Amino acid sequence: MQTDVRSTKPAGRLSREDQRRLGDILQRVYDDVVKQGVPDRFRELLNELDGAGPGANAVTERKDAGETSSGSGSLVGVDRADESSEKGPLR
Amino acid sequence: MTMRPSVRDAMLAAVPSLRAFAISLCGNVDRADDLVQETLLRAMANIHSFQPGTNMSAWLFTILRNLFRSEYRKRRREVEDTDGSYAESLKSHPEQQSRVEFEEFRVALAKLPPDQREALILVGASGFSYEEAAAICDCAVGTIKSRVNRARTRLSDLLSIHGADDFGPDHATRAILSAGGGRGG
Repeated sequence: MQTDVRSTKPAGRLSREDQRRLGDILQRVYDDVVKQGVPDRFRELLNELDGAGPGANAVTERKDAGETSSGSGSLVGVDRADESSEKGPLR
Repeated sequence: MTMRPSVRDAMLAAVPSLRAFAISLCGNVDRADDLVQETLLRAMANIHSFQPGTNMSAWLFTILRNLFRSEYRKRRREVEDTDGSYAESLKSHPEQQSRVEFEEFRVALAKLPPDQREALILVGASGFSYEEAAAICDCAVGTIKSRVNRARTRLSDLLSIHGADDFGPDHATRAILSAGGGRGG
């Protein structure tokens, strides 16, 4: 019945110790990204989607202007120095 | 449409993990973020098919995984060219000490067949049970287990993890070097 017992069976010829080491690295690599949290891009996206219904008129103006209202859109930045077009929030 | 705050919060809460999954799948941060964005759009468009009370995270992972699979089929050749972008995405990692380890690991991960890679990530990092992972990947639980096992074995081979005190840098370093230098395009 239990499905998430991880170490009952050896994986191929891997020892439990090796499995654990692999698991640790995998988790760290993964958590490294998770720790970056929610980039603004997605917060804004959900806000916009959420606001597309009644009662959110501020957001609808952006239609003809691309993503200018948010300021951090990667397509804009015309009057700024156009640096190497790397996205800011992702580092 | 307006969504319930709880739904929105659940989506937001899933984003960090979705990104980690997406990056693991496609090995490229920008593409991964596009994939996450498309996932959220797709989810919103189909929010009526989400059953409240069920696992929002698993639902989003399923959407993302399916999007990736269809894209992967289209772009197979490109996707195989991931080593360089892995190396690039590592610049963001602050800890010098574990950087090499990370690099090697990510490069090795990119070499796994997609089936195995996604199974390993879902179970070994995202924290899903075998059953949940099987539902996300639309396959049998036993299939997930065997994929996870094969993924571990393959990874440990690539990383020379067993028997040695440290990982042999050979494979991974070579991959990074060859990806970073002199690629014609």
